[in-house]
Amino acid sequence: MNGNLLNGGEFLLADTAGMEIFSPEEFTAEQKQIAETTEEFMKKEVFPNIDRIEDKDFGFVVEKMRQCADLGLFLAEVPEEYGGLELEKTTNMLMIEKVAPAASFNMAFSGHTGIGILPMVYYGTPDQKERYLGKLSSGEWIGAYALTEPDCGSDPLSSRTTAVLSDDGRHYILNGTKQFITNSAFADLFTVFAKIDGKHFSAFLVEKGYEGFSVGAEEKKMGLKGSSTTQLVLDNVRVPVENLLGEAGKGHKIAFNVLNVGRLKVATSTLGMAKGAFAEAASYATERKQFGKPIGTFGAIQEKLADMVAAIYASETVVYRVAGLLDSRLATLERDGDDYYERYQRAIEEYAAECAIAKVFCSEQLDMVVDEAVQIHGGYGYISEYAVERYYRDSRIQRIFEGTNEINRILIPTMLLRKADNNGSTLWELVRKAQAGVATETACTGEFAMAAASIARLKQLFLTVLGAAAPAKEHQEVMLAVADMIIAIFALESAVLRADKTIAAASMSKQDLLRAVVTVLVFELSNRFQSAATRCCAYALKGEELIELLKRVATLTACPAEGLLVAKHKLADAAKDVGRYSL
Amino acid sequence: MKILVCVKQVPDMESRFKPDGSGTWFEEADLAFRMNEYDEYAVEQAVQLKEQLGNEPEVTVLSIGPDRVNEAIKKALAMGCDRGAHIQDPAPQGKDPWQIASIITQFAQGEGFDLIFTGMQSQDRGSAQVGVLVAELLGFACATTLVGFAYADGVITAKRELEGGIKGIAKLRLPAVVTCQLGLNIPRYPTLPNIMKAKKKEILAIPVADLLKEEAVASTARFYPPARKGGGIVLEGDVGNLVEQLYGILKEKTTVLR
Ligand SMILES: Cc1cc2nc3c(=O)[nH]c(=O)nc-3n(C[C@H](O)[C@H](O)[C@H](O)COP(=O)(O)OP(=O)(O)OC[C@H]3O[C@@H](n4cnc5c(N)ncnc54)[C@H](O)[C@@H]3O)c2cc1C
Ligand SMILES: Cc1cc2nc3c(=O)[nH]c(=O)nc-3n(C[C@H](O)[C@H](O)[C@H](O)COP(=O)(O)OP(=O)(O)OC[C@H]3O[C@@H](n4cnc5c(N)ncnc54)[C@H](O)[C@@H]3O)c2cc1C
Repeated sequence: MNGNLLNGGEFLLADTAGMEIFSPEEFTAEQKQIAETTEEFMKKEVFPNIDRIEDKDFGFVVEKMRQCADLGLFLAEVPEEYGGLELEKTTNMLMIEKVAPAASFNMAFSGHTGIGILPMVYYGTPDQKERYLGKLSSGEWIGAYALTEPDCGSDPLSSRTTAVLSDDGRHYILNGTKQFITNSAFADLFTVFAKIDGKHFSAFLVEKGYEGFSVGAEEKKMGLKGSSTTQLVLDNVRVPVENLLGEAGKGHKIAFNVLNVGRLKVATSTLGMAKGAFAEAASYATERKQFGKPIGTFGAIQEKLADMVAAIYASETVVYRVAGLLDSRLATLERDGDDYYERYQRAIEEYAAECAIAKVFCSEQLDMVVDEAVQIHGGYGYISEYAVERYYRDSRIQRIFEGTNEINRILIPTMLLRKADNNGSTLWELVRKAQAGVATETACTGEFAMAAASIARLKQLFLTVLGAAAPAKEHQEVMLAVADMIIAIFALESAVLRADKTIAAASMSKQDLLRAVVTVLVFELSNRFQSAATRCCAYALKGEELIELLKRVATLTACPAEGLLVAKHKLADAAKDVGRYSL
Repeated sequence: MKILVCVKQVPDMESRFKPDGSGTWFEEADLAFRMNEYDEYAVEQAVQLKEQLGNEPEVTVLSIGPDRVNEAIKKALAMGCDRGAHIQDPAPQGKDPWQIASIITQFAQGEGFDLIFTGMQSQDRGSAQVGVLVAELLGFACATTLVGFAYADGVITAKRELEGGIKGIAKLRLPAVVTCQLGLNIPRYPTLPNIMKAKKKEILAIPVADLLKEEAVASTARFYPPARKGGGIVLEGDVGNLVEQLYGILKEKTTVLR
């Protein structure tokens, strides 16, 4: 697989033909087993107790967290020398997907195993790991991550929390307020960011028992009601100098590096939630009768179900494609050496844009899915007794944390352009070719050759529009539209690659569904691309140039989508048949 | 002590089943498979016994079927069994319980097991015959439908579930076969570390042809969905009217009032 392992962002510039992706059909027996253990645990211990969790019975949450630890569910990213398993990202994502439908519990779980533990794994000294990692991975202690402040969210480097070295040089004295901190009601160890002398942004390991450290009242939230979210107040908290995490003044590395995989994890969580909400909707559509028939037989509902299935298929494909990219890259690293985690970070950072794409795309697919799931439930979808009501509320925040979708969108083209500036000008060369009208060919053959040809046209168009709009790139609106084009290409290409890779081994009925889902996604994502490209042109161009380019956009994104209706019926019928997502 | 646990992989029982082309089994494509639930209790009991005896016994887990059954074997290994035996058979559903039992017996004879655990029955076929047939073929003592298990000094004390919810106690001397009922114990979840460790455990692969010596004595005639029951009728109207309607139906459509 490493032979043609693409660098970050390269998918935009290369032919779809020959690209390797990891798809969920390839899970090994061990990966499936890990998924089964996680899922069985959730089914028996957590899902039946959602109400208790939503009522903020944090004692219960901690009890279930300890059981997770007993099963080894916290070990995925813990180094082997500390009893961990260092599992592949694909496996890790599979676990998160299974936890995700209990979204509040997932906050505790992912907050602890992700942003809670990882800063220490990546940057902790052997002494810090010795003191804390065992306690965290065994669930004896719960971890939390405190970056956000009341006046500092998307711009974490504007932190006002300060750290000053004590006169005897043995402590840093922290002062400030942190905002919206997950797990704080029951966490024992907090990674707190603060500026040394108000200048050098740094991270500190703060135990809850330290004098002057206090946890505020629970926020009253729209969703994730069973998750703890509070302020932290640091009032002359004396943190031993041994608890400075990483180097002084290098806190930004810690803050940002956990975010890359963190974004993929949010994408994965939204995937798991989407599957959960969809199962509710699909089974409700077969049970609920109006006008003498199950509502699932009405075209209006079938269309929703089909669009939801296609959205979930695309999300799933994106999540595991990105996870697979990370795994392939990480697999090339030499495990030995003190600088392992530094190289590890660089390997992950290579795909920072892909992680951001996954976060934005999947969280927005989830919003569509929960919205339609409520709609399918009619008035009952608005009533708390029905699970979709919770999914609807729990969904909304996913577009906000781990970098708002605006911040992530802007990151996507920014990173791409930065790369192009750094490593020669392949991008701009291709832009010039595309602008000159050199048609992009694809070597793709077989079942999905037509879909691949559409993708090739979108890529050519992307380059053309990017070239034309680049002078206006200081406008965020332009960059957001560029991001939307990129996201549409990535999602569509992933879905087509996966369908192409798996169709031969699929059953006849599954093959039919794969063709159907590709038909729906080519249509849907070409349209989304078209809308973004049009918007981008309108923002950036005028006169003849605008009119000419819009014509090209219209021509190259045109998608006849014959058979779209039949394709949607097939997807909807299959989903109703099994009562859940099962592509 | 040498222990054998027999496990079967069955489809997720929440699946929708459709008859396959032959009309004697269900279509297996696109179904998710998992370990037969009864067999999970068998695995758990075997592993508990191993732990009780200071880990001395060696526990082998056997499954007959296509490659996918390795997943069930690996689960058992992750739960604590020591080695696996995959009897490779692309189409085990075509074999009757007699053949399945004789295959297991063939394998067991060469191995010298003292104790064999099986599930009481499989969730898909539900014949409940394999365990007892194996016991008969090997000449082992046998107790079925265990809801309690204790072992001391070569003697098993088995609590059995009898008809009508009555329980019975049986004592068996080794060698023996026991078949396990739901609720016998609480099967453990395979932990992640154990799942990863199980990767290193040996799984023998034996073509079924090497062990199959018997002809079938029973065959499946047809696999079909149960006839659809007619929908219910909701009667409406005031009480007097309802009584009349009901009376009419009972008279015309049933033999109750004739
Ligand atoms: C339930 C919950 C749990 C959380 N858990 C944690 C946690 O455990 N630890 C932690 O540290 N934080 C946590 N957070 C905080 C979360 O990460 C922040 O809310 C998020 O980063 C956004 O910051 P903000 O709320 O200050 O919004 P702001 O940064 O004020 O953003 C407001 C709006 O402005 C936009 N915006 C801001 N800057 C720009 C820009 N440069 N260009 C374009 N648009 C911009 C944003 O996209 C957004 O739409 C949590 C939040 C919630 C609600
Ligand atoms: C807060 C609240 C206040 C309310 N107040 C009142 C009130 O004061 N008085 C009152 O009488 N009612 C009230 N209602 C009920 C409300 O009007 C109904 O919920 C609404 O009419 C939808 O009906 P339903 O919930 O049964 O959904 P259903 O009719 O079951 O619809 C479920 C889904 O199926 C779709 N569907 C149904 N039939 C078809 C079809 N033929 N073709 C295509 N799609 C179809 C619907 O569009 C929907 O997506 C209230 C409901 C709520 C939640």
